Amino acid sequence: MTQAQTASPELRQAIIDYLATRLTNGSNFELHNIQRIAVGWSHETWLFDVRYSEDDKSQELGLCLRRDPGNALLRHLSDLEEQFRVLECLDRTELATPKAYWFERDENILGAPFLVMEKVTGSCPNPWGREGRAFYQAAAERGTLPNSFTTTLATLHTLDWRAAGLDFLDVPAPGTGFAQREIDKWRNLIESADYAPQPILTDLICWLETNIPPTDRLTLVHGAYRTGNLLIEDDRVNAVLDWELQVIGDPMYDVAYVLSDLNREGTSLLSNLVERDEFIRDYEAATGFTIDFETCRYYNALYAMRSVAFWMSAAGLYANGRSDDIRLARTAWSVPVVLERAATELGF
Amino acid sequence: MTEAELLDRIAKTLKQEIGPAVDSEYPKTQAFMAAVVLQKLSRQLALASGHRQANGDDLNLLIDDIAESVITKPVPEEVASAARQLAEARDDNALCGWLEALYANRAALGAVHFDALLGRTRTTMRANIDRQVEYAG
Repeated sequence: MTQAQTASPELRQAIIDYLATRLTNGSNFELHNIQRIAVGWSHETWLFDVRYSEDDKSQELGLCLRRDPGNALLRHLSDLEEQFRVLECLDRTELATPKAYWFERDENILGAPFLVMEKVTGSCPNPWGREGRAFYQAAAERGTLPNSFTTTLATLHTLDWRAAGLDFLDVPAPGTGFAQREIDKWRNLIESADYAPQPILTDLICWLETNIPPTDRLTLVHGAYRTGNLLIEDDRVNAVLDWELQVIGDPMYDVAYVLSDLNREGTSLLSNLVERDEFIRDYEAATGFTIDFETCRYYNALYAMRSVAFWMSAAGLYANGRSDDIRLARTAWSVPVVLERAATELGF
Repeated sequence: MTEAELLDRIAKTLKQEIGPAVDSEYPKTQAFMAAVVLQKLSRQLALASGHRQANGDDLNLLIDDIAESVITKPVPEEVASAARQLAEARDDNALCGWLEALYANRAALGAVHFDALLGRTRTTMRANIDRQVEYAG
């Protein structure tokens, strides 16, 4: 769900005052085209252009500011400083990502911690809307973007994450360490939601713990790689966005997400964009990895657990008064829908 | 007018009259989403009595089947204890405890017995979740 809002005069001035402390050779700062883009339920995201003078020349810089509103879904699992560090590290790789400029924890500046990064050109059509689906369908027919989608994921999975400095992301132990850590993370979120006991969820978690696939191949994993989290320009992926769920782990975790039915609607195209056989062929060719479909089936079940954790957490934010957003109240009815899917994943 | 019908009527007013009259994007979305919530609540409320009865009947049958199975073929004490707690409490918390006991004693139960007990329990859970999806989906 996307909606544009304008910034208050106070926020505009606070941003200008801040930028003046960072672009110290500049003067006469002005903000243009400022709008808040609310995609999903995570941090506030503001896009704007800053115009200023430097050495008697007019300069313009497109910026994206993400601010922590203090009550966002998954807030404690999605730290802005970590996002900033990840983007800094990825800037040293060939993966297309926005350049990270500054992170500030001081709430006195803009009322909440925030990061500032490059406003990358391109569009990010919502794959759940009619227009977005039409956009991806047309791009699929032209044929260039599907390959860019796949090869960008391959780049993400084959980059040297240790050399890039991403080992601060808590590297799991080889074997079952990655999946066990994910299970523990989502179980903690479920427990903190203080929801009524759900027998299918108990069955699912027990099954997941009993059937963990071992993996010795560890890569950077995006955690939500799909259309809607990719900035598109000229039929290619211009930037990978939404660095909130990334981990070091099994690349099949991302592959399972791409292959799942979760991210497409009314089409057989993966992520509303890519033919399944084409994705498998191009991904395997670009990475040298063989897709393990049994492991992907396991991760699909793990995604069901993650979804339940999301929806329980979201519904809890509304129920306990930490958010007034009725979209969050609505998610209480998403819990049984996902549990039904989980039952199907488990074979009953 | 029943409570469910009242909620449904309010939802329709929100969706057809209040929402379209709101210009600002965010409150408009909130109005439509409130209509969705009220419609789901209405449906849940309308089905609640029948679902409660059916879920209770299913759980009773499950507990009877577990009791018979445990007598026919002995199980580890943790599983037997979980079965007794389920028979006493007859609620989802005890059903979760029963499932955890099954998985924890999977090796001792053996694959065939474990699959039989879990499969029987899953039949009850499937019927329950199908009822929930009637109003949640």
